[in-house]
Amino acid sequence: MSDFLKIQQINKTFQPDKEVRIEALQDINLEIEAGDFVVISGPSGSGKTTLLNIVGGLENATGGTVILDGQNVTGLAEKELSHLRRNHIGFIFQAYNLIPVLNVRENIEFIMKLQGTTQRACDQGVEEIAKKLHIDDLLKKLPHQLSGGQQQRVAVARAVAAEPKLILADEPTANLDSQNAATLMDMLEHLNQHEGITIIFSSHDPMVIERAKHSIVLKDGKVVSNERFN
Amino acid sequence: MFKTATKIGITSLLRRRTRSALLILMIAVSLWGLLFIEGIYDGMTEQMIANAIRSDSGHISIFADGYRLNPDLSRWIENTIELDEFLNERQQIKSTVARLKQDGLVATAHYSRGIAILGIDLEREANHSHLEGYLRHGELNFGERQRGAIIGFKLAKKLKVAIGNKIILSAQNSAGEMASTALKVKGIIKTHNMAFDENAVFIAAAKARELLSMPTGISQIAISIANEGEIASLQQQLQEEFPNLTIKRWDELYPALQQSRVLMAGFKQVINIIIFSIAALGIFGVMLVSVLERMREFGIMLAIGTKFSQIGIIILVEASILGCAGFGLGALAGFSTLYYFKIYGLDLSVFSSALDEFGLDAITYAIIRPDYFFTALAAIILASVFSIIIPLRILKKTKPVDAINAI
Ligand SMILES: Nc1ncnc2c1ncn2[C@@H]1O[C@H](COP(=O)(O)OP(=O)(O)O)[C@@H](O)[C@H]1O
Ligand SMILES: [Mg+2]
Repeated sequence: MSDFLKIQQINKTFQPDKEVRIEALQDINLEIEAGDFVVISGPSGSGKTTLLNIVGGLENATGGTVILDGQNVTGLAEKELSHLRRNHIGFIFQAYNLIPVLNVRENIEFIMKLQGTTQRACDQGVEEIAKKLHIDDLLKKLPHQLSGGQQQRVAVARAVAAEPKLILADEPTANLDSQNAATLMDMLEHLNQHEGITIIFSSHDPMVIERAKHSIVLKDGKVVSNERFN
Repeated sequence: MFKTATKIGITSLLRRRTRSALLILMIAVSLWGLLFIEGIYDGMTEQMIANAIRSDSGHISIFADGYRLNPDLSRWIENTIELDEFLNERQQIKSTVARLKQDGLVATAHYSRGIAILGIDLEREANHSHLEGYLRHGELNFGERQRGAIIGFKLAKKLKVAIGNKIILSAQNSAGEMASTALKVKGIIKTHNMAFDENAVFIAAAKARELLSMPTGISQIAISIANEGEIASLQQQLQEEFPNLTIKRWDELYPALQQSRVLMAGFKQVINIIIFSIAALGIFGVMLVSVLERMREFGIMLAIGTKFSQIGIIILVEASILGCAGFGLGALAGFSTLYYFKIYGLDLSVFSSALDEFGLDAITYAIIRPDYFFTALAAIILASVFSIIIPLRILKKTKPVDAINAI
């Protein structure tokens, strides 16, 4: 079978100063299918964020390759990475995802505009996404007028607006209460099932982890478990 | 994208309202002050030049060769028929006046003083130097028997004479003998040209010819033309046609005034450098803090695939809004102020005596030139661009992930 995302022999060493070397990731090999719904879990400092950043082209690996949909991501220059992130990957960060001076509608539109979408298509796209994700009543609000849960829902909407092949979400529920966390997971699950978007998220919340179809556990920069549920 | 950038810029600036407003005000106030200086200084310079042209040189003056070095009666222009013909044919010439000039002595019962005697034709002067505009007391009239004299206000003060008082004028005539005549002061003028206000007595041309025994000849012909741009070419034509005459432009006769114009051009560059520096430093400070405060915001933008150049546009738009708002406000204030002083004049009569020395009127009328505003705008736009170089470099060096993690 052809894998959508191949992570081969990825290593990442941080060297904050001469004496200190942090082996954040060591020989990571993973294969993820198109349409997968993957959780990366593990204790704090195990390398979840680093792995997601390397996959998303936000961080360079020290060694190894990441092949996304046939394209070698690890070999790309910053310009090409920017293009990749803009057009093929949706990002959801732990918090403060939104541009504070733009309202919800403009935040969602922002990425569409980056892609060169016309204003009319933007308007249409925003309406559609907002309805689907039940945030239509928030469109005129500014980020600081929203609760943490609402902000994360808008972040999901913005990630989807880019029509990505892959959504990467680094601990998207870490700052949310369980009610909001469940709602956000419903949303991601829905996007995965109905839109067929491949989603990789990290978490250390068991309630969230159990929702995934594919679970990868990291510890000290190594994969200690890799299971698929059917 | 540009619309979004503008929206982000304006909203970000509004969030930092006090800081933005202070900077805009700072740019505006300095621009205002500098525009004021420019307009008033130009007004003064042009006034001095206009006074010199009106009262003396015209745009071009014609003398006999050697007269300027050694101005005596033997060096007057003798034959003016061809010259008159030539000048009459030239459409671009607005007016010409002929003047008869000889050094002499003016005396009252108490006081005497060396002056220039100027024989003039009041009718022709009316079109040329508009002496009526300079008249302070009395009238511009030499009387039926041409026994009147017009003198400058400073000379009047020195001689302690008023309208109707008698003065005695003496000079060497063409035969080399001292000749004298008694005249009555009919008018007192203030031209702001020292040479006239303090050191000249105007009398009728006919009276001058009689006094100096010079039935013919002219010491100076002053020409005014409609379009200043044609001064040099007319000078050249005249010189070719009359190689034996000395043809001088006003700026050759009053080099100090021309220098003042050149000086002003340099001064304006200094002004624009000042505007540039104030705007560049101010905008730099505000934008630097703004970028540092918004590292996370820009980090997110970069992470989701915003091109660095698009971030550059966002920051440039923001810097330009600051600069342009400062320019708009300052230009408006500057324009209104200069417009007021263009119409009503700036009364500097407190410094009147000092101003007279420089040939300046007590009331200075401001000048407003579009280039004041264009160059200032260019300086401010340039400053906006310069001011964001360092903030952008800081941003360029920071990786999006680090920016996102830095809270
Ligand atoms: N920029 C960095 N500089 C130095 N060390 C880093 C940096 N980013 C992460 N690390 C280190 O790499 C390891 C993995 O970190 P991270 O991927 O953030 O773990 P997780 O997301 O699982 O908590 C940690 O030991 C962390 O201290
Ligand atoms: Mg992490």
